[in-house]
Amino acid sequence: MLISRRHALLGTATSFAIIGRARADDVVRVGGIAPITGPAAEAGRFLQNGVALALEAINAKGGVLGKKMEFVVEDDQTTNPGAVLAFSRLVSRGDCVAYTGSIRSTQVNAIAPDVLKAAKPVMFGGTDPSLTQAGNPWLFRCRPNDSFSARVIADFGFNTLKKTKWVIVHSTDAFGNGGMKALVSSLDAYGIKPVLVQGYTNQQTDFTPVVLAVKQAEPDVVSSYFTFENDLGIFARQLRQLGVTVPWVGSPSIINTTALNLAGRALFGTYGIADYTPDASPEAKAYAETYLARFKAQPDNQSTWVYDALMLLAKAMNDAKSTEPEAIRKAIVAIKGYKGTEGTYNFDEKGDGLRGYNVVRNENGKIVFDKRVEFTS
Amino acid sequence: MAIFLQLLFTGLGIGAIYALVALGFVLLIRAASVVNFAQGQFAMVGAYMLVVCFNVLELPYLVSMALSVVLMGLFGVIFAFVTYWPLRHRGGLPVIISTIGASIFLENIVLVLYGPSPAVLPGLFDSPGFQVGPVFMDSQYLSILVSVALLVALQYFIFEKTLLGKKLQATSQDKEMASLLGIPVAGMILFTFAYSAMLGGLAGMLVAPVLFVSVGMGGLIALKAFAANIIGGYGSIPGAILGGLALGVAETLGAGYISVPYKDAFAFAMLLMFLMVRPQGLFGEKISEKA
Amino acid sequence: MSVNLASARVLRGLPQAAIACVAVVVVASFAPADGYYLNIFMQAATYAIAVTGLVIVLGYCGQISIAQAAFFGIGAYGVAIGTVDFGLGFFPSLVIGAAAAGLLGLILGLGSLRLGGHYLAMVTISFQQILTLVATNWIGFTHGPDGIRDIPRPTLLGFSFRNGHAFLALCLVTLVLVTLCVWRLKTGRLGRAMQAVRDNELAAGTCGIDVFSTKVIAFGLSAVVGGIGGGLFAGGFQYISPDQFSFSESIVLLTMALLGGVQSPFGALVGTGLLVILPEWLRFLRQVYLAVYGAAVILIMVFLPDGLWGLMLERVRRRAKPIEGGVAPLPLLAEHGEKSDEIVLDVQGIAKHFGGLKALDGVDLSVRRGSVHALIGPNGSGKSTFINVITGLYRPTAGRVIFAGRDITNSAPHLRNRAGLARTFQNIRVFRGMTVLENVMVGAERPGNDIAENPAAGVERALAALDFVGLRGDAHRQVGALSYGHQRYVEIARALAASPRMLLLDEPAAGLNLTEKQELGALLRRLKGHGLTILIIDHDMNLVEQVADHITVLNFGRRIADGLPNEVLANPDVIAAYLGEPRNEAA
Repeated sequence: MLISRRHALLGTATSFAIIGRARADDVVRVGGIAPITGPAAEAGRFLQNGVALALEAINAKGGVLGKKMEFVVEDDQTTNPGAVLAFSRLVSRGDCVAYTGSIRSTQVNAIAPDVLKAAKPVMFGGTDPSLTQAGNPWLFRCRPNDSFSARVIADFGFNTLKKTKWVIVHSTDAFGNGGMKALVSSLDAYGIKPVLVQGYTNQQTDFTPVVLAVKQAEPDVVSSYFTFENDLGIFARQLRQLGVTVPWVGSPSIINTTALNLAGRALFGTYGIADYTPDASPEAKAYAETYLARFKAQPDNQSTWVYDALMLLAKAMNDAKSTEPEAIRKAIVAIKGYKGTEGTYNFDEKGDGLRGYNVVRNENGKIVFDKRVEFTS
Repeated sequence: MAIFLQLLFTGLGIGAIYALVALGFVLLIRAASVVNFAQGQFAMVGAYMLVVCFNVLELPYLVSMALSVVLMGLFGVIFAFVTYWPLRHRGGLPVIISTIGASIFLENIVLVLYGPSPAVLPGLFDSPGFQVGPVFMDSQYLSILVSVALLVALQYFIFEKTLLGKKLQATSQDKEMASLLGIPVAGMILFTFAYSAMLGGLAGMLVAPVLFVSVGMGGLIALKAFAANIIGGYGSIPGAILGGLALGVAETLGAGYISVPYKDAFAFAMLLMFLMVRPQGLFGEKISEKA
Repeated sequence: MSVNLASARVLRGLPQAAIACVAVVVVASFAPADGYYLNIFMQAATYAIAVTGLVIVLGYCGQISIAQAAFFGIGAYGVAIGTVDFGLGFFPSLVIGAAAAGLLGLILGLGSLRLGGHYLAMVTISFQQILTLVATNWIGFTHGPDGIRDIPRPTLLGFSFRNGHAFLALCLVTLVLVTLCVWRLKTGRLGRAMQAVRDNELAAGTCGIDVFSTKVIAFGLSAVVGGIGGGLFAGGFQYISPDQFSFSESIVLLTMALLGGVQSPFGALVGTGLLVILPEWLRFLRQVYLAVYGAAVILIMVFLPDGLWGLMLERVRRRAKPIEGGVAPLPLLAEHGEKSDEIVLDVQGIAKHFGGLKALDGVDLSVRRGSVHALIGPNGSGKSTFINVITGLYRPTAGRVIFAGRDITNSAPHLRNRAGLARTFQNIRVFRGMTVLENVMVGAERPGNDIAENPAAGVERALAALDFVGLRGDAHRQVGALSYGHQRYVEIARALAASPRMLLLDEPAAGLNLTEKQELGALLRRLKGHGLTILIIDHDMNLVEQVADHITVLNFGRRIADGLPNEVLANPDVIAAYLGEPRNEAA
């Protein structure tokens, strides 16, 4: 029955691989957790692709302080307990100078106490704004947080599409709730109160009640925060079947590879906001080309944030000429104007590096860059 | 009203999926007193077989389906030999645990063999559905409803009108007596496993276009199907069908009119209510122990 | 002897537990300082506490519960919400959390009133699912899917548990204490009652055990223990979220209990330990390892039916020591045995209809104190229905049952036993999972018995009863290992140990061979000699003639004769209805 791989009992970290081969003393080692099993296992594979490309790029340019960079991964099984154990296992190795966390906000929340104890920089991709506001000096975000995603959705829908009757559909998990709250307050800034805010629980078999609620509200624009692609796919198909055709602006999951594959035509003509789009910058384009050549697939944000995270760590260590945690931390905070695949990084004291999103269009299955919306604070 | 009708149609479609899986549950409960916690994974394995036959081997759709159903029968027999046969004399709980073990095994072995990417399967028909008055009829839900009706008819025919069916019934009612009458009880039980796996697999193939094919897809359905069994009446075939439909309608209406996030709670609250007020379910017999 | 026994029982396990406490504190303080091992140990210890709770409800009481992770979660949320949102101390929050879990456990146990087996399993699954949904969606109270972070660890009497080692020591000491309590529970009165319910609900009820309350208490205790484990888990990891207490975690806990062996809290420790280590061993398999884990679960079920702990016990089990020394004679016989005209059991116009079938139709019967009364009749004459009405398994359609001056027509079976009505069953109902002595102790411990509150006296009474039926040497054997005839004696001893006012024997000769029947006859004559009031139901005329003072004959649900044996046996109606066949038919 609902036995996902997580049952793995105590959620122990499971798979364990070392990418790159070098002797222990002449490498700089970064540890990272990733969903190798569990519902997000596919995302875990993308993440490891990003890691592989980052290591190649870093080591081709001489590595870190003259040493090769190496990455150790532990399986988080797509669960919170799994993430806690995987992270503490990485810390217990004792030989990592820094870590990468998760793209899932709830997992970052789960490991936060251990991060504080480990007292080494942790780069992560979760977009819940509160993660960097809890006073934990070791957390650094390599994606724009959801206060920006919401502002971009609101800005695009109101200023560009000129829409005022909003519907928000969101997952009731940490990510979805956070996004919904941010969007409600961003719309409030334009004096708009959504006509419907509709939550749903992850992993549904059917979205008809949600779609009918949306239809009844008679919106002129639909916005969404979906966590899992399966849910997004079912919702998208039923939304179109039941005849809702108004513009739809979705959170990044609406344009990720899996969702495009699952939902197909149902997503044609939608807008998505994306922290990563190949056409947004020369850096992003170059990355996409390398990725395509190497893995025969289009990259998405599941691999770009971790690619940027490792590049940023390498830069910070090279800038600081040290692998001491405090020195790295200071060097990361000092990074301004670094052009990564996800955008231009300007870190603040809290640990947020990015403040903008790309708006993209799904044109018959092809993701087309529309514009970039950047904020300064 | 339009909304009510649309919800009702969808509820019936979803309910038919539960009913289909519940049907596989019921047969095993009746023939072997086995509560199979891997019934949902039967659906998942069936859907992946179809993916391999159709998407990978590129056989015609109906040929792929037929081949997958046959393979599922074989799979059911193997499943019985591994999880049920060695434990058949040890009561219900050990078999429950071993089927739980099997469900973990199946999900993960498929993950290893096929990889984590969810797969997409087209429906039986090219058209996504059609509009009837205010209601959009999803063609896949319709196919599922029709399939359930056909399977119920087929099952009725097999069980009530054929010698095989009589033997199966005798086996489920009294194994000792059946074996005294010369009915190959072991064979009947293996046949039931095979048939149950075919039903489960078919359910997976039919829902694949709706839910997509992923290793976790079966788990979504199986728990509800089990609940449908109890609501309908434990071990009752018409109960499983009606229980499934009732559950699908109740949770869809509940989600439509009361609360979407608590959708799953309606199904279980309904179940609890039944257990408290009418534990024998819609079609069950009174539960009592003979002194 | 009784003093020694009593003090030995009070102190039982305490020295070992004290040593274990010291040992775990030492282990905890020397455990490797790194977070990974601390986390693993902390998870194992808190999970093991929850699994020990399952031992109570599933192992002892035989009720399936697939909601242990929910109770674990309630305890965890109690601590998290109490400390973070309400600023309470850790320990008060822990108590609140465990109490809330216990309360919900009791409510869930109420579901067992009418339901057993798969139904109950489904109730617990539903409870589990609903709880997960509430934890996810009631954001104002539970913080929703974000979970609760920064859960503080406690300080007690100036000693701080903030440090990982100290908190781990706290978890382990709690685990030792919980294990001790649960282990002692098994051999206590309540634990025996639970096991009796598990092995045979019907027989447990007729031994004076309130089956329903026992189940409800088992659910409650199990939930409290689960809640304690969860509360410590919250303190250990300092962050909780709803997905940590989901259905799948309940399955994990159940699997741990079954793998280790659900009959003993030590099994819980072994099972939890193994499932912590197993994935570590399988680590080299990478992605395949969970598939291998699933396969391992099947293999363990197939090859280790009693779990790992059961296997270990099997290896080290010594031959039980026979019991030496004398025992006091069974006191019951003197107490209620005075022969008199006082009517002990007065059945007035009892009728029982099943639909149109009149199984009993206005039957009267009076049993006098100190006499042996036989109820006979051909098959299908209503004898079994009669005994089931008398013992409370059936409600009569009409009529009254007066026992020892009290109207018990509508009393539950266990209340009739408490009033002094003990019975045996035609198809033997002993408690198969228990030893001979434990079986009889269940009888001795019926509420209302003079020694029910005194464990040591209970042992003595049980031994005396076994001595009476000649099975004292087998006291420590598993009851299932005895011959059929001896199992019947265990049933009789169980009834005798309850010091009954009246003993009801339902076809005691059924299934016995000739020798055994002769032995049984001798036993009944001895009981009669002691003056015990007996109502015997049988169609073995040999036996009835040997012992009966008074005979009642039933046919087609009606009384057709009643009187002294020679009168009744000469009654032409009786001969026609019953004895028309050759006299030796049943002999």
